[in-house]
Amino acid sequence: MSEYYGIDVDDVFNTMASRFRPEGAEGVDAVFGYDITEKGKWKLSVGQGRMALDITEDLSGCDVVVRVDEQTFAGIIAGKLDAMAALSANKMKVEGDFNLFAVTGKIFTKYVPPGQEVEPEQELVMLKRTISVNQRFATGPIMGTFLQGLKEKTILAIKCPGCGRLQSPPREICAPCRIRNDSWVEIGPAGEMRMLEYCYYASPDPLTGETRETPYGAIGVLLDGCKDNEVFWHLLNPQQLNDVRMGMVMGDKVVHGTRLRPVWSANRTGSINDIKYFEIDE
Amino acid sequence: MQKDDFSKSYVVEGKLALPYTYFAGRVGSRFLTTLRDHKTIMGVRCDTCSKVFVPPRQTCERCFSDIRDNWVTLENKGELINFTVVREADKHLPRKTPYILGLIRLDGADTPMVHIIEGIEPDKIAEGMRVRAVFAGESEGTILEIAHFEIVPPCGMRSRQISTNS
Repeated sequence: MSEYYGIDVDDVFNTMASRFRPEGAEGVDAVFGYDITEKGKWKLSVGQGRMALDITEDLSGCDVVVRVDEQTFAGIIAGKLDAMAALSANKMKVEGDFNLFAVTGKIFTKYVPPGQEVEPEQELVMLKRTISVNQRFATGPIMGTFLQGLKEKTILAIKCPGCGRLQSPPREICAPCRIRNDSWVEIGPAGEMRMLEYCYYASPDPLTGETRETPYGAIGVLLDGCKDNEVFWHLLNPQQLNDVRMGMVMGDKVVHGTRLRPVWSANRTGSINDIKYFEIDE
Repeated sequence: MQKDDFSKSYVVEGKLALPYTYFAGRVGSRFLTTLRDHKTIMGVRCDTCSKVFVPPRQTCERCFSDIRDNWVTLENKGELINFTVVREADKHLPRKTPYILGLIRLDGADTPMVHIIEGIEPDKIAEGMRVRAVFAGESEGTILEIAHFEIVPPCGMRSRQISTNS
C-alpha cells in the first residue's frame, strides 16, 4: 500500500458513505467515475439523496470521469495540490460534464485521515455594538463668545491682563497667572503651520457621533497676531497632509512653517466645525 | 467684561456614538451559545467549595480552582433575592422606564444573576418571590436570549391576581 501526503486512497473511497451529505446531494442525479492510475476504478452513483459506490473495471455510462494518478489525487484530497493546476499540468483529466465534478465538494464532507480528526472549534461569541448617547454642552459666556465669532468668520482669542498671553479657544482663567482673562483680541484668520500630528485612530466626534476618516492631520497653527506657543488647533485639508512643513523656533533661529488659511463652512452654526479645516495659503 | 453676562451662552446638542467590541471568552461563549441553541441556562460548579456560579466563570472566586469544564445545568426557575426599579430613562436602556432589574438566584445556583423582571407592577414586587425565565422568540446570541423573568404565582393563585393593581 502506497501513501502520498499521509492519505490512503482506498480509505478516501471507503469513507464516502459516511461522509455523504444528503442535503448537499439535493438535486444531483449523476454517475461519477474515478480512474486512479494503477490503483483502481470506482463508480459513484448519486441520486434522490442517496449514493452507491462500486469498484469496477467498466466506467462506461458515467456522466463524468476523472483520470488521475494516485499521488495527484491524494494531494488534491489533502488540500496540498490545486485541482485546476493539476488539470492544466495534464496530471488530471476530466472527461464529460466538468461542472458536475465541481459539485462533489458539496456532496461529501471533507476527508480527514484516521487519527487526524480534530474536535470542532468552539464557537466564540463576539459582539460589535454601538451605543449612542445624547449629550448637551453648555458653552458658558466665554466659549459662547468665541463660537459666535466663528459664525461671523472671526477667530477670537482671550487675553490675560497679567502676562498678555492669548488663548484660543478661550478659557476663563489664565492658568499660569491664576487670574481672570478680561479682553478679546481678533487673531488670524491666516497663520503658519507649527505642528502636525498624523492621526491613524479616530475616536467618535462627540457632536455628531461620526468617526472621521483616517489618517487625518491635527495641526497647531500660529495665527497672525499670536506668538510662542499660542497655537490654534484644528484640522488640515486631508489632501495636503504631505505638502506642509512645520515651523519652529530654536534659540535665535526661526523656521517658518507653511502659510495656512481657514476654509469656512457655508452653513455656520457657532461650532468649531464652522471652520472645515485649514489649507495651504501660498 | 461682565462675568455674569450670559447673552452669548448657549447649549450645543451632541450625540456621542460609542462603538465597542465585547468578547465573551470561552466560558462566556459556551454559556451564551447554550442559551441560544438549547434554551438552557448553565453554570459551573466548584467541587472544592460546593458552589455553583451563574453566570459561569473560569476560576472559583474563593479557592482559585480552574472550574471552566465543570458545567452543570440549572433550572429556569429561581428566587428573587433583590431588585431595583429603574426610573431614569435613557435611550440605550433595554426597556421603557419604570422597569425592574432583579437579582435572581436560580434553583441549584449559589450566585445571583441580573435580569429584567416583567409582568408585575414595581410597587407590588418583593424579595423572595419565585421567578421563571421566559426565552425570547428571536435569537441574537446575548443574555437577551432570555427575554425576561416572570413572576411565578404562589400555588393556587392565578398570575393575573398579582400582576394587576386590584
